[in-house]
Amino acid sequence: MNPILEVRDVRKSYGDFVAVGGVSMSVPPGSIFGLLGPNGAGKTSTIRMIMNITAPDTGEILVFGRPRTPNDLRRIGYLPEERGLYRKMTVMDQLLFLGEIRGMKRAALVPEIDRWLGRVELAKWSGSKIEELSKGMQQKVQLIGTVLHKPDLLILDEPFSGLDPINQELFRELLQDYRSQGKSVVLSTHGMELAERMCDHICLISNGRAVLDGNLKEIKHRLGGNSFRVIAEGDLDRLRAMPEVEQATIQNNDEIKLMLRPDADGAETLRQMIGFLKVREFRSEEPELEQIFMKAVRDAA
Amino acid sequence: MRLDSIFVVLKREYLSRVKNKGFWIATLAVPLFAAAVTILPTLLISKSHTSQTIVVVDATGQGAGEALKVQMAQTAKTAAAKPKEKGTVPSRRLGKGDSRLADFTIETQTPAANPQAQRRELDARVRQGKADAWMWFGPGMLKDEAAEYHARNTTNFITQETLRGDLSEVVRRIRLREAGIDPARMEELTKRVELDAKQVPGTGTSGGGVAGLIFAVVLFFLLYMSILMWGQQVMTGVLEEKGTRVIEVLISAITPFELMMGKLLGICLVGMTQLAIWLGTVLVLTAPGIVATLAFLPAGVTMPTLTIGMMLNLAFLFILGFFAYATFYAAIGASFNNLQEAQQVASIAVVFIVAPVMVINQIINDPSSTMAVAMSLFPLFTPLIMPLRIAIEMPPAWQLALAYVLTLTFVIGMIWICSRIYRVGILMYGKKPTIQEIWRWAWHA
Repeated sequence: MNPILEVRDVRKSYGDFVAVGGVSMSVPPGSIFGLLGPNGAGKTSTIRMIMNITAPDTGEILVFGRPRTPNDLRRIGYLPEERGLYRKMTVMDQLLFLGEIRGMKRAALVPEIDRWLGRVELAKWSGSKIEELSKGMQQKVQLIGTVLHKPDLLILDEPFSGLDPINQELFRELLQDYRSQGKSVVLSTHGMELAERMCDHICLISNGRAVLDGNLKEIKHRLGGNSFRVIAEGDLDRLRAMPEVEQATIQNNDEIKLMLRPDADGAETLRQMIGFLKVREFRSEEPELEQIFMKAVRDAA
Repeated sequence: MRLDSIFVVLKREYLSRVKNKGFWIATLAVPLFAAAVTILPTLLISKSHTSQTIVVVDATGQGAGEALKVQMAQTAKTAAAKPKEKGTVPSRRLGKGDSRLADFTIETQTPAANPQAQRRELDARVRQGKADAWMWFGPGMLKDEAAEYHARNTTNFITQETLRGDLSEVVRRIRLREAGIDPARMEELTKRVELDAKQVPGTGTSGGGVAGLIFAVVLFFLLYMSILMWGQQVMTGVLEEKGTRVIEVLISAITPFELMMGKLLGICLVGMTQLAIWLGTVLVLTAPGIVATLAFLPAGVTMPTLTIGMMLNLAFLFILGFFAYATFYAAIGASFNNLQEAQQVASIAVVFIVAPVMVINQIINDPSSTMAVAMSLFPLFTPLIMPLRIAIEMPPAWQLALAYVLTLTFVIGMIWICSRIYRVGILMYGKKPTIQEIWRWAWHA
């Protein structure tokens, strides 16, 4: 399947500072694509280039299979990192405006807006001014403004920041609905747990570079073949010192997340561990995204 | 460029302002305020006559004091009895047949044996408020000495002017009589000639005379206010979008050029709505009959009329003027992060817009002078100076056409440059840019 969005080795520098130093990614249709990385990794810079807010120094961005045209704007919904709405406008007027600048007709918009407001429990606020709403409510209004015109591609910069768990869940449901209609979502986040729960594809960015890119399941399979959950007591430092061990992190008390080198043999490692640890449980496991991420960042460095 | 996108932005800019209570308060306050400052003082003055008691000590020996008393009583009487002449220019020189601020009661005294005691006694009367002032006419007054005037305050120029005028008249008559000339004959021979100013038909659009002048000046200041006010509204609007980061959402839906044009057109239309309301008020107030019943103006003064051609010219000139300045304001709003930063640079525009105010007197006096023509052809001044000229005397067609061509070219150039600055500036945050940087955005971005 042709990717909906393709970023090819994009670079952007501000003076001596390299914000993005070579990012490539490919977003397949009908997927939720996570752009992951710690703060300052270059996620927002990448998104701003995708949205043509800034131009890349080098590299290429293809939207819907070709270099973007102004008309593509109407097929994209964008939620910027810094949220913004007209403070003095009512929720209804604001959403009508956001729909209309993307070419929608007023008559078609009103029922659509009502439906969305009902869904996010803001129906009774439709006549209120934005400045009268709480931050969380404003964020919901803005998300509606992003999806009202039913774009084929949604680009959300940190959509979950500042939301309580209930609303995070609501957002997650909305995005999954969206995916089920065959549309694509690109979202950036530094919350690995959230990304793990909802993304199909990921691109990990660290220090302006893509360090990992692909289908999440495949990545986990590829990189997580040697991941184990161990419950044991004893000399953990010695465990970490073993040549086969890539990473060993203690979770709670005696539970250990163990990652071995790809070529290491799990059974052989277990045999050696028994020599100095009291092992009660040793189980093969999918690695958490966070572990993969940390490993990828370390390898890249 | 999508026209429908521009229209959506235009609609938002227009409605969000016109729906605002503040717009209506400001729009209605201006005519009310204007009426208040022009009509009220006139009404108050005409309704509130004060009377002043002035004690005159006459040491001339020629009856100057008594003569002044008669003179002042007479002018007051003729002023009250004299009907307003048709087309009379309301004179500002008080004491020349116009209504006076005060009635004067003159009380004459002869000089006492002890002048010092008399002076002290008169000072005491003024202090106690029994008299408003006292005057001393020395014997030398009939030659070249000044008359003394003692009062609680000596900054009452209007009263002093009245006294000076009447006293001069009195003294002149005494001097004439002493020289053996009949004052009445003298007056007959030296009578002033009045100018009855009438506009040649077909040269102008206003009614001429003072009414036409006032009308031209009112138009000028309405345009001046509108262009300045709504131009700055463009700047604050752009700054708001930048400050609240709405801009990122907008730019992800439409191009910066569409956004800027929509904003400019929307606010321009708000300004025109307001001007239409103001001019409508003027039209209603100056409609035949209404002014007469209100009786603010002397009867028979022809009121200026707004012709269709004049209104079209005004509308076009306002649009051009608005765009000449608002494009600049849009670029400045886009380039800076907050109002304080932007205001410093925006004051450049104010310099140009205020310049025509400085020369308004010269233009009114001779609307066809080289300076008036030159200024009315300079694109940044055209939108203010040309309406002023039109209101006073219709300029030749070639000048009007040239002014339109020049201003339109200038405005198109401004739109081109400013939209380029706007496009870059609108997404720049953080450091305050230098003028050089902004200049680079226009040419190299």
